[in-house]
Amino acid sequence: MTGNVWVVLPLAWVGGGAFLLGLIGRLWRRARNPILAALTALIFGGGLLLQLPVFAEVNGALLGNGGLPRWGTAAPGGIVLEATPSALLLSTLALGMGLCAALYSGGYMARDPRYPVYYPLLLLMVAGLQGMLLTTDLFNLYLFCELMSVAAYALVAFRRHTDTAIEAGFKYLILGSVGTLVMLFGIACIYREMGELALPLAAFAHGIWGRVGTASILVGLGLKSGIVPLHTWLPDAYGRAPSSVSALLASVVSKSTLIVLLQVCLGLGMPASDLGLLLILFAFLNMTLGNGLALVQENTKRLLAYSSIAQTGYIMFSLGVGLRYGLPGALQAGMFLLLTHAVMKATAFFSKGVCHFYCDTSTVAELRGTAQQLPLAALTFSLAVAGLAGVPPLAGFVSKWFILAEGVRAADALIYVGMAIFLLNSLLALGYYLPLIVRVFQPLDKEDTAPRFALSPWMAGVLLLLGALIIAIGLSPGPWLAWVG
Amino acid sequence: MTLDTLLLEVVLGAPLLAALILVLLRGRGTRFAGWIAGGSAVVTLGAVFGLLPTLYGGGEPAVAFSWIPAVNIQLRLHVDWLTLPFLVTEAAVTLAAVLYSWGYHKADERSGYFYALLLLFAVGMSGTTLADDLFLFYIFWELMLIASCVLILVWGEGARRGAVALKYFIFTHLGSLMVLVGLLVLYNATGSDSLVALRAGGWELAPGLLTTVLTLFFIGFSVKMAIFPVHLWLPDAHTVAPMPVTIMLAAAMLSMGAYGILRFPFSLFTAEQIAPFALPLMLAGLISEVYGALMALAEKDIKRIIAYSSVSQMGYILFGLGTLNRAGIEGATLHVIYHAIVKALLFMVAGIVIRATGRRNIDELGGLGRAMPWVTACAVIGGLGIAGMPPLGIFNSEWMIFSGGFETTHIALSALTLFASLLTVVYALRFLGGIFLGERPAGLTTSPVSKILVATTVALTVLLIIEGLFPAAIFDWAEHELPLLLGGGL
Repeated sequence: MTGNVWVVLPLAWVGGGAFLLGLIGRLWRRARNPILAALTALIFGGGLLLQLPVFAEVNGALLGNGGLPRWGTAAPGGIVLEATPSALLLSTLALGMGLCAALYSGGYMARDPRYPVYYPLLLLMVAGLQGMLLTTDLFNLYLFCELMSVAAYALVAFRRHTDTAIEAGFKYLILGSVGTLVMLFGIACIYREMGELALPLAAFAHGIWGRVGTASILVGLGLKSGIVPLHTWLPDAYGRAPSSVSALLASVVSKSTLIVLLQVCLGLGMPASDLGLLLILFAFLNMTLGNGLALVQENTKRLLAYSSIAQTGYIMFSLGVGLRYGLPGALQAGMFLLLTHAVMKATAFFSKGVCHFYCDTSTVAELRGTAQQLPLAALTFSLAVAGLAGVPPLAGFVSKWFILAEGVRAADALIYVGMAIFLLNSLLALGYYLPLIVRVFQPLDKEDTAPRFALSPWMAGVLLLLGALIIAIGLSPGPWLAWVG
Repeated sequence: MTLDTLLLEVVLGAPLLAALILVLLRGRGTRFAGWIAGGSAVVTLGAVFGLLPTLYGGGEPAVAFSWIPAVNIQLRLHVDWLTLPFLVTEAAVTLAAVLYSWGYHKADERSGYFYALLLLFAVGMSGTTLADDLFLFYIFWELMLIASCVLILVWGEGARRGAVALKYFIFTHLGSLMVLVGLLVLYNATGSDSLVALRAGGWELAPGLLTTVLTLFFIGFSVKMAIFPVHLWLPDAHTVAPMPVTIMLAAAMLSMGAYGILRFPFSLFTAEQIAPFALPLMLAGLISEVYGALMALAEKDIKRIIAYSSVSQMGYILFGLGTLNRAGIEGATLHVIYHAIVKALLFMVAGIVIRATGRRNIDELGGLGRAMPWVTACAVIGGLGIAGMPPLGIFNSEWMIFSGGFETTHIALSALTLFASLLTVVYALRFLGGIFLGERPAGLTTSPVSKILVATTVALTVLLIIEGLFPAAIFDWAEHELPLLLGGGL
């Protein structure tokens, strides 16, 4: 167990925090929801602080001063964690979003009697995600992936008094388990070929088992990232989970899985240009199917879920262009969209959750009158949705600009077709984003009473913070872009 | 910081600051909202005129900040002679619209937001003309769409406003996306988004790419100009928008499409590169002109009549641009300015009539001449103005456009354009006669309207007459922009 201990500390802190919080919830019966929410937020915040020292070292490594910080033993049965720049970025994003979700839950979970179980699950999910990002061998990847997934299944089905939640959780469980099983099969194949599992391996270049293994891992992780046609669990899961959970799932969990997928495939020796082509082709499916199906959704959260599938497509497109044509700018643009999408989608889910909490709305039609009853939520929701639609000067527009600008640079017929598909999809997306905004600002009928609700400070704070972030990233994308780079 | 950069910052900063104050005041500032907005509009117009001496001295005021250094994107504002006619028009129309709102808009707790959005709409337009880099241009270009769309969505008249706002957004956004692709190709050609670099030359596009980019620019900007057949958003948006917004849409925003054509295809490419597009532009202009005029004759809603007249008038501008010669382009620029005044005037008259009678169907109106003498006088002058009667301004610009047309080899087209302008006379007379002359229909009563509405309308009428009698200054402005266009070959 040697190496830089700061690599593992945030992970250990969050994972340990989960167990500690579980104990507290069980032993200290009088711990109310706000107390547990504050403790969870403290743990997430602490995790963020603990991550700071690694940043300097990773920056140094990028400039050529020594290798990336690692921790662990490389012996059989050991574990090695490595803080790659993308892992660090995503784990910071996950902790930040976790912090927001925890604070938000301080108000949002007020009516759920089972809140003592909720917070440890939240922490476990993020810990699993961090592990997936940091680990450098396939076996531990599998373990962390299962840890994250199990927590996610439980969270999706958290409101078990509603049968829809149970149904969605069950569907997610079945499909997710199939995904992890396929992945396990792939790992076994690769172990048969190479006799070891520590990445990077050159498995792909060798025999049939290496190829089958890589393909299986691609399918398994692809399912977790919601790549069409393996997305079928996603709308149900995002649509039925509590909004705070949907926000986390949509903004970081599935997107980080996508990045892990890329890291693993590249680590297994898959040529970058092939992987890029694969991503671009599946990106078209994701965009078109996500946007097309979002158009016909009546439930707001399902609509947002389909929009998430489409946005995954945009991210895949940009990353694919970067990998296929060796353009670091396109990779950067893809990561930037990942970041902005996380902020915007989380804001949308959080705002939607506020509407559900106070007015019990679930369909798009019921959003009517939100501007009168919950002005702040209406504002942040519109900001987030407008941002997702790519309206300048919000964050989403800047990311689309970068993606398209990099696409032009690739100067290839496939990419011109791809950009046309991309633009047509952005137009198609307006068909559902704009009616959402219109609906939110539509006044209630005269005879309906429209009480104005006082927003819980927990939720209001998070909404304000994220809404401000959407504008800030849009107005000055420079530092964020540099951070992503 | 010199005086010029200060003025440049004021042009954008004053309305932005006023909008911010209005938003921060929330419901409390209702009584002052109109004053704050009006004050900032006056300051902006003053600052625009303050830039004139430098321009006459041969300078081009500019201000630049580095924005996203990682990808070579900066924030640069700049004024040249191409900007000026559009900037002046936009600032003046904003002032007129705000003043008109004082009388038209009923003050309630949301008034602050109304004026704030009106100012943001204006910032979008002036920013579009001032932006000297592609990224910033697109941001302002879309800001003007968003602000106007929200205004229609929230303050629009009639139950269909949600659907109309949606149609307006999607239609014009489609045009914007085409423009965006063109901008991205230009960005990639030089590796920087600055128009300075683009103007400096030293880059070129493959022939196929060049044609694609120019086509995208022309179609994209035509959507904003509401040229047939991509005009479909205009009649609904103009009819449903509250009158001050309609004034800004029709008198200023439509011309932004013409500005886009002048700023991108015309000033970045040479006459030979544009030449293949001359005939399509002239044809589209002619068809738009005839179609808009015929629809204006067929409509019954007085607001829609004037709305279709905009489709027709934008056709003249596109025709003038398509001639690719001195007279035509100069005429098109003049037409932007004159059309702004006349169109604002006619919409103001229509707004007063609708306010006073509560009716908007021309068959149910008539004989109002006696009841509203001042408004009638303004309407007659506005109607004659749009019909191209000398010495009112539009006569000058149409003269230039037609003479530009006859200089080209397409004499037949130009003759058709000239005769099609007769249709304008017909719908203008129908508008005047149907509302102010003839028998007054049974049950038509007039209620008194706010004095401010009438005063603004009269002021604009006076401006129209003055501009028509003393057009030298405006001709001079339009003259100065010509060396910037088509590789300086004009």
